[in-house]
Amino acid sequence: MNTLTHTQDMLAFAWWIALSVSVLLYIMLDGADLGAGILTLFLGDEDERGAVMAAMAGTWDANETWLVVAGGVLFGTFPFVYGSAFTYLMVPLALVLWGIMTRAVALEFRHLAEPRWRRFSDWAFGLSSLGTTFFGGVAVGAALKGFPMTHPAHGIPTYVGGALRFLSPFSLWTGAAAVLAVMLAGGLFIRARFKRGEPIRDHVARWTDPAFYAALACVAITVGWSALIFPWAAQKWFGPQFWIWGVLLIAALFATARMRRATRDERDLAAILWFNLTVAILGVAMIATMYPWLVPNTWTIYSGASPQVSMITFTLAMAGFFPVMVMYNWYQLWVFRARISKLVSYHD
Amino acid sequence: MTTSDLSAFISRLDFAWITTFHIIYPPLTIGLAAMLFIAEWRWVATQDPYWYRLCRFFEKLFVVNFGAGVATGVTMEMAFGILYGPFSQAAGPFFGQVLGYETITAFMYEAGFIGLMLFGWGKISRGMHLFATFNVAFASTLSAFWILDANSWMQTPGGVTLKDGVFQISDWAKAILNPDFLYAMPHMVVASIELSLCFVAAVSAWYILGRRHVALFRRALLWSVLTLIVVAPLQIWLGDGLGRVVAHDQPAALAAMEGHYNTLTPTGQPNTGWHVVAWPNAKGDGTVWAITIPHVLSLLETHSWNGTVPGLNDFPKDQRPPVVIPFYAFRAMVAIGGVLFLVALWAAWLAVRGRLSVERIASNRWFLRALIVSGFLPYLAVWTGWWTREIARQPWVVYGLMRTRDGVSHLSAAAAIFWLVGFMLFELMVWGGAWYFFAKVIRRGPDLDSPIPAPGTESLGHLETDPDEDEEAGYFRPV
Repeated sequence: MNTLTHTQDMLAFAWWIALSVSVLLYIMLDGADLGAGILTLFLGDEDERGAVMAAMAGTWDANETWLVVAGGVLFGTFPFVYGSAFTYLMVPLALVLWGIMTRAVALEFRHLAEPRWRRFSDWAFGLSSLGTTFFGGVAVGAALKGFPMTHPAHGIPTYVGGALRFLSPFSLWTGAAAVLAVMLAGGLFIRARFKRGEPIRDHVARWTDPAFYAALACVAITVGWSALIFPWAAQKWFGPQFWIWGVLLIAALFATARMRRATRDERDLAAILWFNLTVAILGVAMIATMYPWLVPNTWTIYSGASPQVSMITFTLAMAGFFPVMVMYNWYQLWVFRARISKLVSYHD
Repeated sequence: MTTSDLSAFISRLDFAWITTFHIIYPPLTIGLAAMLFIAEWRWVATQDPYWYRLCRFFEKLFVVNFGAGVATGVTMEMAFGILYGPFSQAAGPFFGQVLGYETITAFMYEAGFIGLMLFGWGKISRGMHLFATFNVAFASTLSAFWILDANSWMQTPGGVTLKDGVFQISDWAKAILNPDFLYAMPHMVVASIELSLCFVAAVSAWYILGRRHVALFRRALLWSVLTLIVVAPLQIWLGDGLGRVVAHDQPAALAAMEGHYNTLTPTGQPNTGWHVVAWPNAKGDGTVWAITIPHVLSLLETHSWNGTVPGLNDFPKDQRPPVVIPFYAFRAMVAIGGVLFLVALWAAWLAVRGRLSVERIASNRWFLRALIVSGFLPYLAVWTGWWTREIARQPWVVYGLMRTRDGVSHLSAAAAIFWLVGFMLFELMVWGGAWYFFAKVIRRGPDLDSPIPAPGTESLGHLETDPDEDEEAGYFRPV
């Protein structure tokens, strides 16, 4: 069912780019926060845990905003996908939401908690970071597999198939892979956010090596597995345009190598930027592989789009609101860019 | 009740729960942000340290509330697709678009400034900080604008035609400026302000009652209750306006709110009686008992002595909303609105008599106690108001166009219960945490000692002053 005009097709495509950018930005920005949160599970020193939280205190909310923006674009422009995919993903999304909720409370209220509660709330923070990442990864893996829908004669197909259909070896694997990948991001984040000579930096440095190889293995396994079970992916990767994917792979490997060198040279900011370039290349490659599917074998960008995407609303959002918001967010990151030490207290 | 009816009913409870436990926070965010802006503006303008201390103190409560609001709010955006998939698909072109605007212009906008507002003291200039506070207040009000727009469209869905199972927008202006919105939006914004005024007044009254920081909190109390004298009657007037929109556009909802079963009396005259309290009979076509005042219903809804108000018997049985909750919730809300107005009048009378001066304010024990109770009442009013609104719209999710049972996702009862139990657990945790930390911040009291940031000393972080970091002067956290 495609009722869109040619212009609307182009607008749906443009919104799809905006959606992809939001999702990728969310993964890059909050991924570091989530990974640092998981790493706090391995920090024995209460002040260090507190300092990790303080390091993200001014920005976590703005980072999470990209998830909400992605949700908003999905609902506003691809409501048919939103209304069916989210029902399919109910269980993992509920778990992600509980994780986000717990994390927000543990983070925002830590400075007020009694010392004996602080231990509990620190555990809650670490575990909720872990849970959010894992079930977020599960949701992505489950979405890649697609889902069954009703076939109404009139009206919009919607999800049928039960609450546990999201479970598969592949989706559980993508959950685990997400955890390992964000731990690398979290390690790089902690190294960049703390002053040189802080013990936590050296502590985390010991982690980044194994985390790097684990993340590399995760990506390789995920790509291999996808090629085996997803014909839509294999057709593109091994089709006549195979060289495009080859170039992307080489670019990703190059960025990864640069990240390793920057890590070794203690150029922490450069390491994060190269890491995020790798993430961006892999993310773009994955999204491009899926095209024109938004949810493989279920919704394309064009069948899932609102029949009323219009030039006016798109221009309003992209030319009006979006640049201003990005500018404000950037300014905020700029103000809070300084390195901190372990003894930084949350609210002073 | 069939299985699908049962799971649809639990899905309704699921959504009722998450909205009920989200709406506790945004009103205080909206109203308190505006009050923080005014206090900070007074500080910047007058250099009076009291304004600064008040600002910083209530900001601590603001943070707790804001954190809880974000924690429960992210859920809301996802929940439409999870619990009301078919509704989200059908209404997406309008409803999703409006919520999308909310995320971009309000949520994202607010998030861009909230960090600056909370952690930017002394790091950015006073003017920039005031600007950040203003934007937090403005963005949160904008958020209410969009959310109420989406909801009021579900009440009075204008500007759309239903085609191939999708609500196609035929007239954007009519859809956005639908009749319900024109009253519901100001009613909610003013409710947020009223709630925040009562909240600040209650906290201040508690200190004054304990004779702590009397001079400081007298100022917060006085400004709040005196503003309440304008805001409380304004809210009653807006509520009356909204009531008449409901009477005109959602007559079945109004009949349920008033427990108005029969249009005509047995003798064929218009039934003009207004029930103060009542209980429906088992058949659901009348009351078992009621205390009724004649003519009041007609006066309220038609502004005439004997005007006809359609009763529930004018509507097919499958289009009648439930009565008990809308009836009592509505009355509770109205009563609270009245009580708060009386409290404001009491404050005005005391102020005129000169009994709210620094020396005498603490001796008005009962007034201060009443103010503390009044701090909780608006929360109850917000809850009961929303329950009235959402339950009286039933059995429709989009009034008159789409039934709730057609809009709800095909979830099993087990899945719906899983959601309900999980969110009960987690949102009660958030709620308990918020109240616990409110109490803790309030007990600890305001910080009157830390230095007030002087203008002109702010630096962007510690970079410029930290000699170890010279080679890193260009560092910023990357995006």
